[in-house]
Amino acid sequence: MAQGFSPAYEVLPGRATVGVAAVALFLAVWELAPRLGIVDPFFTSLPSRVLLAGVEVASAGTLAHDAAVSLTEFVTGFALALAVAVPLGLLLGAFPILRDLIDPPVMALYATPQLALLPIFVLWLGIGMGSKIAVVFLGAAIPIVVNTMAGVRQVDRALVLAARSFCATRRDVFVRVILPASLPAVMIGIRLGVSRAILGVVVAEMYVSQDGIGNQIMRLGSAFRVDRLLVYVLLVSAFGLAMTTLVRKMEERVA
Amino acid sequence: MTPHIQIQGLTIAYEKPREGGTFVAVADLELDVPRGTFVTIVGPSGCGKSSVLLAVAGLTAPSAGRVLVDGRVVTGPGRDRAMVFQEFALMPWRTVVENVRFGLELQRWRGEDLTSRAHRYVELVGLHGFEHYRPHQLSGGMRQRVGIARALAVDPEILLLDEPFGALDAQTREAMGDELLRIWERNRKTALFVTHSIDEAIFLGDTVVVMSKGPGRIVDTIAVDLPRPRAIEVMDTEPFVECRRRIRAGLAGETSRA
Repeated sequence: MAQGFSPAYEVLPGRATVGVAAVALFLAVWELAPRLGIVDPFFTSLPSRVLLAGVEVASAGTLAHDAAVSLTEFVTGFALALAVAVPLGLLLGAFPILRDLIDPPVMALYATPQLALLPIFVLWLGIGMGSKIAVVFLGAAIPIVVNTMAGVRQVDRALVLAARSFCATRRDVFVRVILPASLPAVMIGIRLGVSRAILGVVVAEMYVSQDGIGNQIMRLGSAFRVDRLLVYVLLVSAFGLAMTTLVRKMEERVA
Repeated sequence: MTPHIQIQGLTIAYEKPREGGTFVAVADLELDVPRGTFVTIVGPSGCGKSSVLLAVAGLTAPSAGRVLVDGRVVTGPGRDRAMVFQEFALMPWRTVVENVRFGLELQRWRGEDLTSRAHRYVELVGLHGFEHYRPHQLSGGMRQRVGIARALAVDPEILLLDEPFGALDAQTREAMGDELLRIWERNRKTALFVTHSIDEAIFLGDTVVVMSKGPGRIVDTIAVDLPRPRAIEVMDTEPFVECRRRIRAGLAGETSRA
């Protein structure tokens, strides 16, 4: 035993252990409450049934198919958003004139509920993947543009002056000062964009779609198949958690 | 012998975007700086002393007049001049060594490994062992040492220091002033040091230029007749005290108008 450590140190569990215990407790309550008659399993289902349902849809191939559709829409839309929004944000941040031109419509779009534009996208792109990709694109692009732009604008002027004092060219200033200095803000935009993108793809599929996870959620909800419904909901949650954690890790490395 | 730096009829005016009109920071300033001398400029806030430095650095264009270095007009930044900033201006995402390399990279130095050169200057300013630290992990005094190392690494002929110890506490300031002189003694570059501390100006300088504000001009130029190297104790000697009196008188005449 190390000297000087209080006995309590040996007794208290670590944070990870507490987290796992909390989840285990939640699952236990969820499983037992319906079995003991406290709640009606019709409304809540049980972990055991959800697990079974998960195995069913996975082996039937439907899970893989819908997941692939949603994932494709998400990745395509998000990749497009990155490719367009980051350079656009950098441009707008660097050139105030462009900003005055483009700011009002961008801010208007940011304030608009994402899904309000879905009917228009469906009109333009149909009920297939195209309209969903458009929703993802817009949902992610707007926060990325806004945050990238803000990142460029709040770069410490002293850093630019210092670079210039060492004979930096305009290109040097942009590449060696502005870009690295705005990177943390860009990452914030990406993190916000990810959550809006996930929201966008799932809800858009719930409204207008032939397949995809959101579509399944809608169907299963109407059919009162809560067990299968929860399989898809948990899948979306797990994906969202994974993505957010990934982006946070990247943010830490950059900051 | 041509003075290293010649400031002739320097006027710097900034536009006031909100109220309109112009703010004259410096008016018709004349100053010659001989090679290898340490000249300090002391004055109250807003007297334009930093603007003078920026004009010598080539970072601000004069509204009238000109700055000559070795007889050539200054039109922009150059490899012969390097600056140390009050707020350090270090790149937060770069380590100490990478920050010291910064100027070398921008000036496209060739024929020598930039990292080893940077390491030498990190040692020179007494930061051995901290090469891979980020600025946020360093104290204010240490950050300014990095700033000094960065400026020295590009081997400038003229060192421009804009209130470099202004963001530091009083004791660190004194220690850093000592350090700076120790480093400066090694190759005696021409130095222009701006401060609003009278004691600092006298302790460090061969010549003290006293500036007034509204708009900025020189009210006195004092030769500091104290031998080098200087120890802190010199601040209690009669010549030092006499300088201080003279500078205070020069400033008092002006600040009462503030």
